[in-house]
Amino acid sequence: MDFESSTSSDGIEARLRGRLEFTDHDRLRDIVRLLESDGIKRMVIDLKDLEFIDSAGLGMLLIMQEEAEQRNVKLIVRGPRNDVKRSIDLARISEIITIET
Amino acid sequence: MTISLRDSRVLIVDDNEFNRKSLAIVIRRAGIQNIEFAVDGVDGLEKVERFRPDLVLLDVDMPNMDGLEMCRQLRRNATHAELPILFQTALDGDDEQVRCFEAGGSDFISKPIKPGECAARVRHQLERRKLFKDLAEFRGRVEKELKHAQAMQLSLLPEKRRLVEVGDRYGLRIDSHFETSSELGGDLWNVFEIDERHIGFLMADFAGHGITAAINTFRLHTLIDRFAVAWLNPAQWLSNLNNALKDVLTTGQFATAIYAVLDTGTNALTYASAGAPNPVLGTEGDLGLIDSAGLLLGVSRKARYTNRTVALPPGGFLFLYSDALIESRTADGRCIGSDRILEIVQSALDQRPDAPLAHLLDDFFANVDRPLRDDLTAVWIARR
Repeated sequence: MDFESSTSSDGIEARLRGRLEFTDHDRLRDIVRLLESDGIKRMVIDLKDLEFIDSAGLGMLLIMQEEAEQRNVKLIVRGPRNDVKRSIDLARISEIITIET
Repeated sequence: MTISLRDSRVLIVDDNEFNRKSLAIVIRRAGIQNIEFAVDGVDGLEKVERFRPDLVLLDVDMPNMDGLEMCRQLRRNATHAELPILFQTALDGDDEQVRCFEAGGSDFISKPIKPGECAARVRHQLERRKLFKDLAEFRGRVEKELKHAQAMQLSLLPEKRRLVEVGDRYGLRIDSHFETSSELGGDLWNVFEIDERHIGFLMADFAGHGITAAINTFRLHTLIDRFAVAWLNPAQWLSNLNNALKDVLTTGQFATAIYAVLDTGTNALTYASAGAPNPVLGTEGDLGLIDSAGLLLGVSRKARYTNRTVALPPGGFLFLYSDALIESRTADGRCIGSDRILEIVQSALDQRPDAPLAHLLDDFFANVDRPLRDDLTAVWIARR
């Protein structure tokens, strides 16, 4: 998985690309670090360009949600498509995390 | 890093007594106490077997058998393939040094002996050997422990014999496959004989694989019997499991699971699912995926599960599998995916109606590299 991030007035956006899976645990730390910027109220994780997510990847989204909550940051997962959307729907992640289509 | 060489054993092989004594003085100063001597190659080979040195200091020119031949003979023996052998050679003897390496020597010290160089090279070789041995020992121990743990994990699953008995009792044929990606895995499945009409099936898959996921399967196993009262109510049962797991799992750890109860009297299959891959239901020639959406187990106390009921009459079947089946990538980078699962199930039924699971897995493994990247469990429950 690769990602690029950008900051705007209302928060941070991280756009994920490729496959989010078991081997990406180290990359997760880099995304969590984005939450540590000053004054962040909102973070969007954009999955539009993500091709695949496995159960470890779903776990990473749940970890992100917890990390965001602890810092009073609103986390939004946006735009999952195809297989990624199917996996997120199957696991009912939307009961825990705000998912925007 | 300084490693103590007090227990290291060194064999000095030299036909010249003065050389033997002076070498012994040098390496004793380097902290090595256990020193043995041999006067030629023949004597040297014998002393290697008896004294079991960690290092041999070897002269080249000796009567009876020279150092090169002794070294070659040691290297032919697998036991001594890694034994450090240091030749003593003339400093300007380039040809001789080449011959020493060709004979299997690890390194050489130049003659006349310079105490500092000699001690340093001996120490270097012994330290390497010690690290190598420590690593090999560690590896051996871990392998042994993992093997025991593997047997323990397999004991959590139903034995083939029991599946036959259960099958006879409820009019079923149950085929299964369980394969971990490393020694231990995060999958668990089992059958529960609830009463003479009802039989339950559980399949769970903890996120990740390896030791952490395996420990979680043991946790789950201990919880199964605790909620026996809710066995006829899958949604309630999953809720109970969910709450118990939520208490012990850290964020990011969770399981997908499906628990289904078959009423052999009414043909009703009632199940609840926590995000397990969509099971395949086959009835009278009809094939379809059944809905298995549900929040992952162990993520939130707020999770609510629903009972869903489908008909599974005699002649029909239910196929449960973990995500490795649809997510493992073949050589061309593709995977079966949930789109094609029905296709491969249909093909297995057409090719080998008597043993569709075996056929399906043969096809799968023909295209996927082992070891798998994730744990695979597949259970095919057919009603007779």
